[in-house]
Amino acid sequence: MTVILPLLFLLTAVSGTAVVLVRDPTRQIFAIAINGLVLTILFDALQAPDVALSELAVGSAAVPLLFLVALMAVRTQAPGEES
Amino acid sequence: MSPRIRVALLALSGLILLPCAAQVIAGLPAFGSTIAQYGERINAITPEARHVANMVSAINFDLRGLDTLGEEFMLLAAITGTVVLLRGRRGEGNSERAMRRPGRAVIPRSEATVLACRIAGPLTGLFGLYVVLHATVTPGGGFQGGVILASGTLLIYLGEGYAGWRDAIRSHWLDALEGGGALLFALCGLAPMLVGAAFMQNILPLGTFRDLFSGGLMPVENLGVALAVAGGFTQLFLEFMEETREAEEPDEPGEETA
Repeated sequence: MTVILPLLFLLTAVSGTAVVLVRDPTRQIFAIAINGLVLTILFDALQAPDVALSELAVGSAAVPLLFLVALMAVRTQAPGEES
Repeated sequence: MSPRIRVALLALSGLILLPCAAQVIAGLPAFGSTIAQYGERINAITPEARHVANMVSAINFDLRGLDTLGEEFMLLAAITGTVVLLRGRRGEGNSERAMRRPGRAVIPRSEATVLACRIAGPLTGLFGLYVVLHATVTPGGGFQGGVILASGTLLIYLGEGYAGWRDAIRSHWLDALEGGGALLFALCGLAPMLVGAAFMQNILPLGTFRDLFSGGLMPVENLGVALAVAGGFTQLFLEFMEETREAEEPDEPGEETA
């Protein structure tokens, strides 16, 4: 456990920073999903399985999907066309 | 407010708040130290008082049940707001074409995807039901299970396409699920008052510790949350997915009233 926790903290920091640094919105959504997955493993390692389950279901499945759909709806509109 | 005043305000508030925050952080128990007192009390009392093995559910549905009731209606209000904003004539039927990005190749769905979704879909639904039903025994509960169930319905979209998804999922049923779940939770609070107990007091027999139906009123409230969350999130997915359909004519908000 002594090795796993610092490693997970490092992964959380790296994936969280990646969400900010990735500039392409589509890739950013996948970065958010990966960050959610890392947080899920971290919560599980810290013995909080309830929170981990919520994070997995909401943070790495539901929210990225809604973002993807919203992004797609925005992109398919021709530039200059008002909705 | 000019930018200079904003920066000055930020510096001033930082000057006041940062030392306070530092003091609070310094006063926190060390990382990985003993469980907080509240947690220890809960762990000591709940198995005997409520016959429940999952302390998180015991807090959510019994000890702090009123908070969960508030959250339940918060979710209901948020999803109602989303539906009010997004619901238009676009995507109501199941035959509308998906919007296409010009110049992007359209790859047909492979048979492997269909097969994987048909295998994984029922399994996801089963797992969601398991998480919902075992709320008082193992980690998880109505919220987590409900989101898993809602995500499972998306596998229908992935495997069978938009038309199949719309055929399988009726929007009106989702409204009923969502509202009915919230109503069930509220009734769980009001029903004990009929027999003279306090609001949301646990009046049902508590059952056996570590049994599926332990916790008295908790499994019922948990079912209400599960129905509301599963219906609400599926409704949310549905409304968002409708936005990807091609509108036959632009749907301006309020065009009927104008």
